[in-house]
Amino acid sequence: MGNIRAFRRELSKKRWDAISAQIQDPALSLSARAALRLKLFLEEEQIIRNEGENIPAWRTIIAFPDIYAEGEKEARMAGHYIHEQGRVCNISSDWEGVLKGGLLARRDAGNEDMRTTIDAVIAYADRYENEALSHAVRYGADSYLTAMQMFRILHFCLWASNVYHNTVGRYDQYMYPYYKADVEAGRLTEEQALALTEEFFLSFNRDSDLYTGMQQGDNGQSLMLGGCKADGSCAVNELTYICLKASLHNRRIDPKINLRVNKDTPIELYELCTELTKQGLGFPQYANDDVVIPALVEMGYELEDARDYTVAACWEFIIPGVAMDIPNIGAVSHAELVRNVILTKLRDCDSFEALLEQVRLAEIAEADRQEPGYRNLWIEPAPYQSVLMSDYSHDISEGAKYNNYGIHGTGFATAVDQLAAVQAYVYGDHSVGKDELISAMENDFAGSVALKHKLRERAPKLGLDDACAELLDTMIRFFHDAWQGRTNERDGIFRTGTGSAMYYLWHARDLGATADGRAAGEMLAANFSPSLILSDAGPLSALQAMARPTLKLVCNGGPMTLELHDTVFKNAEGIKKVAQLVRTYILLGGHQLQLNAVSRETLLDAQRHPEEHQNLIVRVWGWSGHFVQLDKGYQDQIIERTSYSI
Amino acid sequence: MIDRRKGLCYDTDMDTNLEQVTGLVFDIEEFAVFDGPGIRCAVFMKGCPLHCMWCHNPEGLAPHPQRVVTLSLCDHCGACKEVCPSKERCIGCGRCVSVCPKGAIRIAGTRMTAGEVAAKIRRQAKVLNMNGGGVTFSGGEVLMQADFVVAVRKLVPEVHALIETSGFAQPEVFAKLAGAMDMVIMDVKIVDPALHKRYIGVDNALILQNLEQLKGMNKLFRIRVPLIPTVNDTMENMEATARLLEGASMLEKVELLRYNKAAGAKYGGVGLTYAPDFPEQQEPNIFREPFERRGIRVDIL
Repeated sequence: MGNIRAFRRELSKKRWDAISAQIQDPALSLSARAALRLKLFLEEEQIIRNEGENIPAWRTIIAFPDIYAEGEKEARMAGHYIHEQGRVCNISSDWEGVLKGGLLARRDAGNEDMRTTIDAVIAYADRYENEALSHAVRYGADSYLTAMQMFRILHFCLWASNVYHNTVGRYDQYMYPYYKADVEAGRLTEEQALALTEEFFLSFNRDSDLYTGMQQGDNGQSLMLGGCKADGSCAVNELTYICLKASLHNRRIDPKINLRVNKDTPIELYELCTELTKQGLGFPQYANDDVVIPALVEMGYELEDARDYTVAACWEFIIPGVAMDIPNIGAVSHAELVRNVILTKLRDCDSFEALLEQVRLAEIAEADRQEPGYRNLWIEPAPYQSVLMSDYSHDISEGAKYNNYGIHGTGFATAVDQLAAVQAYVYGDHSVGKDELISAMENDFAGSVALKHKLRERAPKLGLDDACAELLDTMIRFFHDAWQGRTNERDGIFRTGTGSAMYYLWHARDLGATADGRAAGEMLAANFSPSLILSDAGPLSALQAMARPTLKLVCNGGPMTLELHDTVFKNAEGIKKVAQLVRTYILLGGHQLQLNAVSRETLLDAQRHPEEHQNLIVRVWGWSGHFVQLDKGYQDQIIERTSYSI
Repeated sequence: MIDRRKGLCYDTDMDTNLEQVTGLVFDIEEFAVFDGPGIRCAVFMKGCPLHCMWCHNPEGLAPHPQRVVTLSLCDHCGACKEVCPSKERCIGCGRCVSVCPKGAIRIAGTRMTAGEVAAKIRRQAKVLNMNGGGVTFSGGEVLMQADFVVAVRKLVPEVHALIETSGFAQPEVFAKLAGAMDMVIMDVKIVDPALHKRYIGVDNALILQNLEQLKGMNKLFRIRVPLIPTVNDTMENMEATARLLEGASMLEKVELLRYNKAAGAKYGGVGLTYAPDFPEQQEPNIFREPFERRGIRVDIL
């Protein structure tokens, strides 16, 4: 890979300026500019073909001009709500449809700019002088190999078109017909399919260092396996296993493997997946069909669409082809919300119930505060991404069948633990006074060492005490109810979720001391997990505490995140038991789970000697990355997480 | 009453008040992976009559609560000394724990009732039973607190239970505790009596006697041998061990445990010094053949 990256180049200043002038032409619409930009980008790309290489396309151009003239982007965006970079992102293409029907079938339905992109992509594919590939991009694939080659070209061009977090979707489903036909015709053996799949998966890592994300590795190349078919029957097939094995052999961070499971998923599949977890890659991430599908139906997704769900870049549930959801538009910091209620309302609340009512009202007030901010959304047109959607008649930036927004929720455990401490000591045994608690929190427990210790070590905690699990239900209901019934300007709903994304760091940074004994600035758990200050919650308690029936109310996505010490995986017995542990969470009604196989000692050593740990991979918040490439804050949080691992 | 040194156990009025029997527990671990079949909880009983030179759990040795300090966190501020009522000798009262600004002190060893421990196990019963697992009582040495362990076991009859034991106790104590379990995991560390005495501090006659007893009990059991480089990882010891196990119909398998190279890590925190006289970094020999030749399954952990 290294030597091929030597082909990479920066455009010369002269070339850059010439292209800029063309694609920033004020006479052109933004859509036309985006189409022209892709065309010129692909024409500029160098075609690299290596002996024996089955999967085409290497990115050789490091950077390419944007479609906006100096200052124009800011002017366009002024007064609008802009999500992240203001571009289409984090959705899943209609890979099934486009691989089957080819690009030409989509040429006449859309606008002129969409046609331009189709012609540009076909022209780019033709430069590989591969007849089967040229035929496939025009009319659809007819073998597993050409389907992979075609996917690679289409996906490569998506990145080139400046949309991002380009997900892979349900690979073992849309690829299966090609695989099956090849095998049945005697053209392909399982062994050959495995080798090809490995090569194909490796191609996701060729250019990923150039792809945009919050941190290196956060590029959204998520791939979903398993699950059910449109009629609800089991969709696991030979390719499911082949993909897991390919990922196991490759040991690369892309594509990021997800697996849909349900109560009937056989333990053997979990065991194979646990072998993958053992590699330290942080995947597969599991999603439970028994919880997610009914939850999506409850949110208004049609049953057939719900059964077809995949994940966005991290873990948000989206539907391939038909959804322009923005499942990560905002986040609520429940830890901060509860802290503020305690600081400002506790004195006036005669009972714990009265305090809870204040929390409920605060959740509503927070939703009232955030919601108007998401109006007047503006997204840059994306003519090429539009071609790849199920309805390819209009620009996807304008919306699709589903246009729901997702609100993450951070710090559930810290919120619940604060309430539990207040319930036990302020209203329960009256051992802590209201003023005493408030003052200690305001002063970051300065001079209140004993109180801090009591709150931290003695108070009930989510993961250890059943009372907290009920409070978790309460928090979940308040969060859900606060956003329920609101519609966004695209007639979509607001979906609440248990994901944190990078907010677990952002929300912790300025968060003062909390009533659970957490000091100011101490970190919050990632996603949906017990508090990091809990030193003695084992995984069994944690799984049972988090697998709540209320999860269906907060199914935007966001996994329970569990760290297991890597010594657990050392032999077949350990693998089997971790597999059982994962299945247990699913059987108990958990919605989503990701695991890290980590060693605290290794992580600490990697901070001291990064040069010796270039290949150390960890799960961050919804994706896997190289530990040494993460900012220190993210590194520290992962090390902190290991304190309650076994 | 329990005479901890000898592991003797006098019968108490057990059945009338099982809930109230107390024991000294130093840890309850969920998801103990290498302590028996399926997903298990492990209850670690504090206090051990043996002194294995390679013990990696020094906080399990003393049969009383004691303070454990995370030395790397301590900055010698002296707050703990100000509240200490017994500066000469720690009595495990725990007053220092909550005043330490670094959170560097904890007390190893909590006096718990059988009812409390049973309640903790009961919370996990569903998950343990779903996964062919159960509860493992380990130590320290469980035989030192046999009444307590039997009481807990009787309070959670719905959960599969086993002990991990050195087998060092009077035969009647061993019979009573093992008899209350679904399974037994027993160590046979060194067969030669003189070597045993030297490295473990006690004679192994009781242990070998209890092994014979176990073989005749119609109780599923596993035997464990910790592999200590140059001490017991010899062909002679393995051969002698295998000979002892020959023909034991209820023996499920033998587990050979590689020496834990981090064994010394916890000694400083309890004020002890780790002083192995064997080559710690040397890889132990693994002889499977003496067992396999006799039809005994061997797993390496």
